[in-house]
Amino acid sequence: MPAVSKGDGMRGLAVFISDIRNCKSKEAEIKRINKELANIRSKFKGDKALDGYSKKKYVCKLLFIFLLGHDIDFGHMEAVNLLSSNKYTEKQIDSMDSVKQSAALCLLRLYKASPDLVPMGEWTARVVHLLNDQHMGVVTAAVSLITCLCKKNPDDFKTCISLAVSRLSRIVSSASTDLQDYTYYFVPAPWLSVKLLRLLQCYPPPEDAAVKGRLVECLETVLNKAQEPPKSKKVQHSNAKNAILFETISLIIHYDSEPNLLVRACNQLGQFLQHRETNLRYLALESMCTLASSEFSHEAVKTHIDTVINALKTERDVSVRQRAADLLYAMCDRSNAKQIVSEMLRYLETADYAIREEIVLKVAILAEKYAVDYSWYVDTILNLIRIAGDYVSEEVWYRVLQIVTNRDDVQGYAAKTVFEALQAPACHENMVKVGGYILGEFGNLIAGDPRSSPPVQFSLLHSKFHLCSVATRALLLSTYIKFINLFPETKATIQAVLRAGSQLRNADVELQQRAVEYLTLSSVASTDVLATVLEEMPPFPERESSILAKLKRKKGPGAGSALDDGRRDPSSNDINGGVEPTPSTVSTPSPSADLLGLRAAPPPAAPPASAGAGNLLVDVFDGPAAQPSLGPTPEEAFLSPGPEDIGPPIPEADELLNKFVCKNNGVLFENQLLQIGVKSEFRQNLGRMYLFYGNKTSVQFQNFSPTVVHPGDLQTQLAVQTKRVAAQVDGGAQVQQVLNIECLRDFLTPPLLSVRFRYGGAPQALTLKLPVTINKFFQPTEMAAQDFFQRWKQLSLPQQEAQKIFKANHPMDAEVTKAKLLGFGSALLDNVDPNPENFVGAGIIQTKALQVGCLLRLEPNAQAQMYRLTLRTSKEPVSRHLCELLAQQF
Amino acid sequence: MIQAILVFNNHGKPRLVRFYQRFPEEIQQQIVRETFHLVLKRDDNICNFLEGGSLIGGSDYKLIYRHYATLYFVFCVDSSESELGILDLIQVFVETLDKCFENVCELDLIFHMDKVHYILQEVVMGGMVLETNMNEIVAQIEAQNRLEKSELLAWGL
Repeated sequence: MPAVSKGDGMRGLAVFISDIRNCKSKEAEIKRINKELANIRSKFKGDKALDGYSKKKYVCKLLFIFLLGHDIDFGHMEAVNLLSSNKYTEKQIDSMDSVKQSAALCLLRLYKASPDLVPMGEWTARVVHLLNDQHMGVVTAAVSLITCLCKKNPDDFKTCISLAVSRLSRIVSSASTDLQDYTYYFVPAPWLSVKLLRLLQCYPPPEDAAVKGRLVECLETVLNKAQEPPKSKKVQHSNAKNAILFETISLIIHYDSEPNLLVRACNQLGQFLQHRETNLRYLALESMCTLASSEFSHEAVKTHIDTVINALKTERDVSVRQRAADLLYAMCDRSNAKQIVSEMLRYLETADYAIREEIVLKVAILAEKYAVDYSWYVDTILNLIRIAGDYVSEEVWYRVLQIVTNRDDVQGYAAKTVFEALQAPACHENMVKVGGYILGEFGNLIAGDPRSSPPVQFSLLHSKFHLCSVATRALLLSTYIKFINLFPETKATIQAVLRAGSQLRNADVELQQRAVEYLTLSSVASTDVLATVLEEMPPFPERESSILAKLKRKKGPGAGSALDDGRRDPSSNDINGGVEPTPSTVSTPSPSADLLGLRAAPPPAAPPASAGAGNLLVDVFDGPAAQPSLGPTPEEAFLSPGPEDIGPPIPEADELLNKFVCKNNGVLFENQLLQIGVKSEFRQNLGRMYLFYGNKTSVQFQNFSPTVVHPGDLQTQLAVQTKRVAAQVDGGAQVQQVLNIECLRDFLTPPLLSVRFRYGGAPQALTLKLPVTINKFFQPTEMAAQDFFQRWKQLSLPQQEAQKIFKANHPMDAEVTKAKLLGFGSALLDNVDPNPENFVGAGIIQTKALQVGCLLRLEPNAQAQMYRLTLRTSKEPVSRHLCELLAQQF
Repeated sequence: MIQAILVFNNHGKPRLVRFYQRFPEEIQQQIVRETFHLVLKRDDNICNFLEGGSLIGGSDYKLIYRHYATLYFVFCVDSSESELGILDLIQVFVETLDKCFENVCELDLIFHMDKVHYILQEVVMGGMVLETNMNEIVAQIEAQNRLEKSELLAWGL
């Protein structure tokens, strides 16, 4: 007998549904629905009380109408009323005896909705104990609950590891009939096995040798079973079996400690790569992508390169092709970069539009990272522009310009190649941009060849001019003025172009201004002045590739590990050829070492590795102070003395520090002898600080040595690079010191600045707190009220919040407060707080290791002359620290 | 966690829509439409997973679907779920429907929408899997039906 007999439904409902289904047109359907809605409305509003059955029938009708996509704006109360009915059929409360099961999931739901309502306590032990329950359904529910809870409270649930392992071991080693009802197509309890394996991925490998041994045995059993002939031909059987297998492999990859298992996992995935089931090929590619980042299995993964390339070419399913492209990216190293890049370029010609930009970014990164010879890199990027110009973002073509500018061995080749590329009758605008820039800088390197003589170069570029956008035309105008400097013979032609009405009176202000200025510059300036003004661009400061940053952004915070170079760290030195610590490469660093991962690599010939703020081209103009004008000072990083060598900070150090919490420039310290000024700028997790030491006396300071000291753990949280300054400071003179600062992770104490010198023979020493506080690395974040409240709620653990109520130290002026909050670094959000007097802000603290989202709310009470300040961040100490810093500002 | 379970027919008519995360109604409708267009253009023998549409979640979410005769069963899940596991779950759900309705077809889902929801509630609760044992699920449904029957009898209906 079927569990649901078909006759006992509600007749009225069935009739209504049949009517709708018989409607010949959309209009007829809407008409029928409106009629029914009117009917129901009148019933609900009518004087006669409806019985439960009718109410239920009408609510069901409304539900059906809703399902069809029509708006329902009434009837909710009737539905609620049904809940309070005492008849079973009208409320359908299930009287299941498996209350534990539901309770576990209910608790989980509650925890997800509002974590602070569920404080950890002795009940955690009881929950863990559910893993031993007789009833498999209960165990399944319990595993889901623990998996979620242990992410935030790993220690409270640690005991679950051994229970999970023994449960898993019992399932894995059981015969296919042992678990009866929970055997699914001859596989014992696949669902529970998968959940247990997922739970174990929340923890590192078990410490207890016995537990670990048992687990490894389980994992081996699963791998062995994969080789056994299937017990059934049904797809459900293989699905269930493989679900367990894939989770097992994920766990092996997660542990990343058993070379033997890793290689077996890789071989197993290799088999799946050629499986006829598309699902398995998809999953194999996905898992292999994470496997590629393990040093034990990277080589094993590489052996499958041909299969993966083939998948990229022949798979019919875009999801699978995308996974193949991801895997190629992950398995790429110097040995196979040329092959992979050329395959990806070929794929790009036919790739789905949705993934083209990502492929472009990946190709650009691989080409740069593994370039041994830079002509190959230039060719690759130009090919990218040729094939998929529309998807080549600014970051990509900026980057090729940076690299060409910084490497003189490739400049001639680049000029020749772009010149040839521009010959194509139709070339992408990005090609014109790159071509214009490169020829403007290095066109002279190919001018000897009559086929690319200066007039030919100019007329080639100018033939594209009229088809380009304003931005490109502006760039070309700069190229032209550079030509006047490089090739004086083109001056008359170019001046004529600039003088033309279409430039000089162009409707676009930028173009007009450039035309006017360049024309005048070329007419009035002497050759020497021109040569100075239009000199070749200086090398760009080395830094992390902005393309990589873009790819990470594109992938979002949950990006696959293969894209995140940070996670590849343990292996990156040996396998991915980042910085090879062999003697030969120290003296002549591998060409790619100074392009990516710059922080670790000492670039010997390049200018000081300024971990500069700012972005790309703009950075060149970032201010004259970038080059410290201190003459031939040694450039080695400064060796700081240990903290024990310096005195404690002066008593007013904290007060001085507080002055700089909300501002970046000013006088840090002053006494009769010395004045120390500060100018600083911060962007993302990087900062640059200029310290100006002024000698206020008329006597020379000797042995002048300012140093930066990291007390305690700060060394691992904040990297500060300084240069030695001149040891003598003449009377009345000022010396400048540049500090490059990188925030590695959140920190609480500022670094110390210790200044020592001899004045008239007497030693002077002074220790200050350097005005670098965590809020300097704030990036303001704008968000709508709704998002703000949602995030506010998400950060509702008691330890995530810090609050302070304090008396106002300064007059309570809304404008001043706003300026201070902005100076603090957060964005100010309007229309979020229902009370317009209150201030609400949001920002993200950028550190190298992690980002910390911060929300803040400041409630002034003018009557009491008090403030209440509330901070919520995802990291407890940060909340408290920010709260303390900010509270002192008002 | 399962974010949403959508069942619609070959023409995109929704037959069962269950969200485990709050979305405004118009977004729900949009999600159904978008999901339908995503799966419709895929052949039957390519893979059963695809990256979620723009409306639910983004890159952390996947759509896992199966096509049975006239109906698409689509589960939208986050990365904490096993893809093959969810495929199994869809199969369990469909087989359970089949047991409860005897050769289930689209019409059963239309005329017994309420029952379908009760069955789903036995399998998935609040976005988490509650029970995967088909016999257990069917037993629960039968127990509910007995209660319902006895009540109807008691009132002489």
